[in-house]
Amino acid sequence: MIKLSIRYINLIVLTVFVLLVFSFFLPYLFPGDLLTNITGITPETQQQREALEIAFKLDKSIFHQFVFYIENLFSGNWGVSTATQQSLKTEVALFFPATIELVVYALLFSILVGIPLGFIGGLRHHKGFDFPIVTFSIVGYSFPVFWIALIFITVFCLQLNWLPTSGRLDLLYDLPSVTGFVLIDIALSDIEDKSAAYKDAFRHLILPTLAVSVVTTALFARFVRRSIMDVMEKSYIIAAKSRGFSPWQIFLKHGFKNALIPILPILALQVSTLITNVMIVETIFSWPGIGKWLIEAIYQHDYPAIRIGMLAVSIVVMILTISTEFLTRAIDPTREKVEHATF
Amino acid sequence: MQRFSHYQEEYYPSPLMHVWIEFRRSHIALIGFILLLSFFTIALIGPLLAPFDPDLQNTNAILLPPAWEPNGTVVHILGTDGLGRDVLSRLLYASQITFGSSLLVVIVAVVVGVSLGAIAGLLSGVKSSVVNHLFDSIMSIPTLLIAIIIVAILGTGLVNSMLAITLALIPQFVHQTRTFVKSELQKEYVLLDKLDGARPLQIFTHSILPGMVELIVVQASLALSIAIIDISALGFLNLGAQSNFIELGQMLSQSLDVAYVATWLVALPGFFILLMVLSVNIVGEGLRSALRNRLSH
Repeated sequence: MIKLSIRYINLIVLTVFVLLVFSFFLPYLFPGDLLTNITGITPETQQQREALEIAFKLDKSIFHQFVFYIENLFSGNWGVSTATQQSLKTEVALFFPATIELVVYALLFSILVGIPLGFIGGLRHHKGFDFPIVTFSIVGYSFPVFWIALIFITVFCLQLNWLPTSGRLDLLYDLPSVTGFVLIDIALSDIEDKSAAYKDAFRHLILPTLAVSVVTTALFARFVRRSIMDVMEKSYIIAAKSRGFSPWQIFLKHGFKNALIPILPILALQVSTLITNVMIVETIFSWPGIGKWLIEAIYQHDYPAIRIGMLAVSIVVMILTISTEFLTRAIDPTREKVEHATF
Repeated sequence: MQRFSHYQEEYYPSPLMHVWIEFRRSHIALIGFILLLSFFTIALIGPLLAPFDPDLQNTNAILLPPAWEPNGTVVHILGTDGLGRDVLSRLLYASQITFGSSLLVVIVAVVVGVSLGAIAGLLSGVKSSVVNHLFDSIMSIPTLLIAIIIVAILGTGLVNSMLAITLALIPQFVHQTRTFVKSELQKEYVLLDKLDGARPLQIFTHSILPGMVELIVVQASLALSIAIIDISALGFLNLGAQSNFIELGQMLSQSLDVAYVATWLVALPGFFILLMVLSVNIVGEGLRSALRNRLSH
């Protein structure tokens, strides 16, 4: 167990290092002035330029620059955005939680709906309920996420006029950003009518969450269905049957857990797809998250923002992926072999 | 009665034939296959089928609804857009670009990924571990993020977005090939090759690759559906195909301005993407179960 933990920590450290090196070289690859790409400040005079070059150690060797970059990152000095001249750290801290919030709700929805659907389909496969579930899982997985978001907007916002099209909360509520998560912020704030604020926040949340969840739910349902079908054919299930257990007992005692083990690593891989989908949906629903922020950064050629945003998102996704993988290894005793970080 | 043949049938089908026999048992898979073939046809000869020039602006017929609506005409079966351009022709051109470029992306990703995976699988020790590390870290980066970085470096455009998606798709092929090659290398038929004096490359091309083709095809079908969605998503975000190409996602985003009055302009391109991805997924699923059934019989 300790050996396993050390291996995975080693893997995280190495991968973070690769990402850091990669992000360090990004400003050299971006078009435009290197100094602006690194600092986010456009120098107006020659003296200012020279002062900046010395301040950011651009006159020193690449190695010095890299050490300086890492030091700055760890001391929380992430530079400023070219477009807004705001500190990137505050901007990321403002926008990233909104994305995480959407990811968490979509993931919860997909798990709560997709996994039971998969179990129903797999246990009753090729019978009654299975056909609609299989159809949903294939069709749902094929939906382009931006199209489904647009359909939701057309139907529920423009035609039925039930739900708001954009944003996280009505402008009436002046919500200070403490944690960045709307639902927690409302609880912490001093808004008088909290239940109305919650209702409003939920109305804003429903459509983006659903739009993102369709694809993920379909995917989970499909994987769980396949997995439980495979498990129910195993000989230990037949052994349990021959001993006279009821189907329900067999499922709860043997089927359920064994079917979920192969799902975990797939879930980890889906986090990256989920974040991509969330980033696209954010731009459609004007959800103030990191995806919308990054895409706007592209339009405005805000290279320091792209660099830091990319680093933040990829490190979070990577740590999530690796820790889920670690969890799978730790839970599943049959998987002895360690593929990563082995020399 | 004495039997001289080992097989019960007179004629014993080849593995490929066997897959086809299993595949065509499912009607849904067949329908998906026909749909996929028609998209192939559109990708090859789409422009020949288009009734109008996709850029021809007919100012007498702006925002004409499709033919089944009361105001629609048969001349423009799927209606016209805000500039009076024929939607059907544009859809055919756009499908060609979307499907064709996705196909190209997947082919490149398969070739590069399988060769890199083979190298990583055949080499052992530090080298393969370093390769694995790099690819695992790339694999964890969301596709859109890779695309954003590539677009930031090289600028927007169809080719750049294709490059980004290729980069995002390669790791999974590397991963799969490497695991497959590693497990096959333990088997005895590979040992036999080694005893015959085959070099690693020969072992790979002659013994391992033929057994891997089906696996790759299934994985490629999955990759193709991802590629179609990603290319159109990038087009939709204005990071992919620009106005010199017509692409389904880009068509969708251009028609957002008139979405209030012309819902079909939003509905049709999205529906085409859905059909495309659906047909790829159905065929992929059909192939997978056909392969599974073939092995279990």
